[in-house]
Amino acid sequence: MKKNIFSSAPASPGRRKIWSWTWKIACALVIMVIVSCSMTIDTVVQPSSVNGGDILPVTLNVTISTNQAQTSTFIVAVLVPKVWKTAQNATITFTSDITSGDQQMTVVPSGTPAPNGGGLDWPTYLVSKIGNGGNLLPDYEWVAFQSNSPYSVAGNVTFHATVSIKIKTSVDNVLFKLGYCVANGTDGLSDPSRYGSYLSTDCFEVNGTGDVIDFCNPQLANVDPRTSLDNDIITLTFDGGVESTVLDNASQVYLCISGITTAGDSLSVCEQTSRTKMKSLGLSRWQIDIWPRKLFGLTDDQHLTGLRYWFTDASGNNKVGYAGTTDPFIYTFKCE
Amino acid sequence: MSKKLILCLTLAATALFACKPERLVTPSEPVKSLTGSWQIIRATRNGTDLTSRFDFTQFRIVFTDSTYVIDSLVPFITSKNGKWAFDDPTYPFNISFAPADSPVKSAPMQFPISSGVRNLILTFSPGCSLNSYQYTLQKAN
Repeated sequence: MKKNIFSSAPASPGRRKIWSWTWKIACALVIMVIVSCSMTIDTVVQPSSVNGGDILPVTLNVTISTNQAQTSTFIVAVLVPKVWKTAQNATITFTSDITSGDQQMTVVPSGTPAPNGGGLDWPTYLVSKIGNGGNLLPDYEWVAFQSNSPYSVAGNVTFHATVSIKIKTSVDNVLFKLGYCVANGTDGLSDPSRYGSYLSTDCFEVNGTGDVIDFCNPQLANVDPRTSLDNDIITLTFDGGVESTVLDNASQVYLCISGITTAGDSLSVCEQTSRTKMKSLGLSRWQIDIWPRKLFGLTDDQHLTGLRYWFTDASGNNKVGYAGTTDPFIYTFKCE
Repeated sequence: MSKKLILCLTLAATALFACKPERLVTPSEPVKSLTGSWQIIRATRNGTDLTSRFDFTQFRIVFTDSTYVIDSLVPFITSKNGKWAFDDPTYPFNISFAPADSPVKSAPMQFPISSGVRNLILTFSPGCSLNSYQYTLQKAN
């Protein structure tokens, strides 16, 4: 017959005291085990800007403390604009107190589930656990790298690692808030004490060419996807909450748009009808999805290089363009 | 010869002739058919659901055994009518469209049955190859 430990006779005061202390000590040990396993990014050294196409060099100084012996890979992830194609254009190495020479890292293969991530892969899990770093456009990504070899680390030791990140930027003009994460390949992002992260509050700048891709500052107008051609469906958003404009009190907002063809012709659709009417998203935000080929009635031989557009009220008399002026917002079609 | 022996021999002979070889027919996967008119019930761009934001309701694509006709075009794999084909009629994973006077275009496809209804799911890039669209189509009534 099994003894029910929860229904045994009442313990004596002495035994209760011993049990009480036993539980307290056990809990304290558990908490110590959890808390004492840590990985932190102590400092980040990165420039405030680079020229388009140049290498962005970043150094992370990391402290790792263990409470028990473990064999794991080392994970470093970076939060970057998608346009940099960091998985193909970055190299990450590190040195540490417990290794000799530069240790190589490679991109975690696409679709690899993160440990304790509920099936999510590393980039998705990084977004859900650490976030987007305050970047306002959706064209950002976390890219995770793992050490080529696992490392055996003794328990109850503290050591330092210096991570060297080199990312070749694209030629685009970019303003972006960079982010970094370090973790081990066994615990992953299971608990904030098991990994270290750093999200820059300063806006990193790439002095490149073309339209500025500004992740840092709220924009009056935004186009999604950022890279598209005239046979894509593109979404234009007007955010009237960014600054005061002549459309502050508009109950309806319409799109006024011109398509510039490869031949240099300008095709205009500037009317206040159902095909240009924008949908309210609330909080002075308006949105419309257009298919340029149909909107401008392009023939098979006609193709667009870009768009010029404004937002108007129902009368068409009040018009908002770039920075709240009457100059048009400009969008360039490209696919790279 | 006793009556019992005759009876036994008769039963044995009956049992023997009662047996005949059974032809086992392996069940075969039916050839998939697209014949009919299909409409878009769900559309995504880079994972973002556009179904209720863009008017896909008028789009129809009518398949016969080898040809297709598009009505009320939206961004699609092809913009002209022509011929179509599966990579494998029994286990199709790709569908190709051969519009008249234009190059053949193919797209990955799935052909699942969901809630008792056959779905045709197409993945393609009508514009920039960096943008991925996924349309789920069902037979139009």
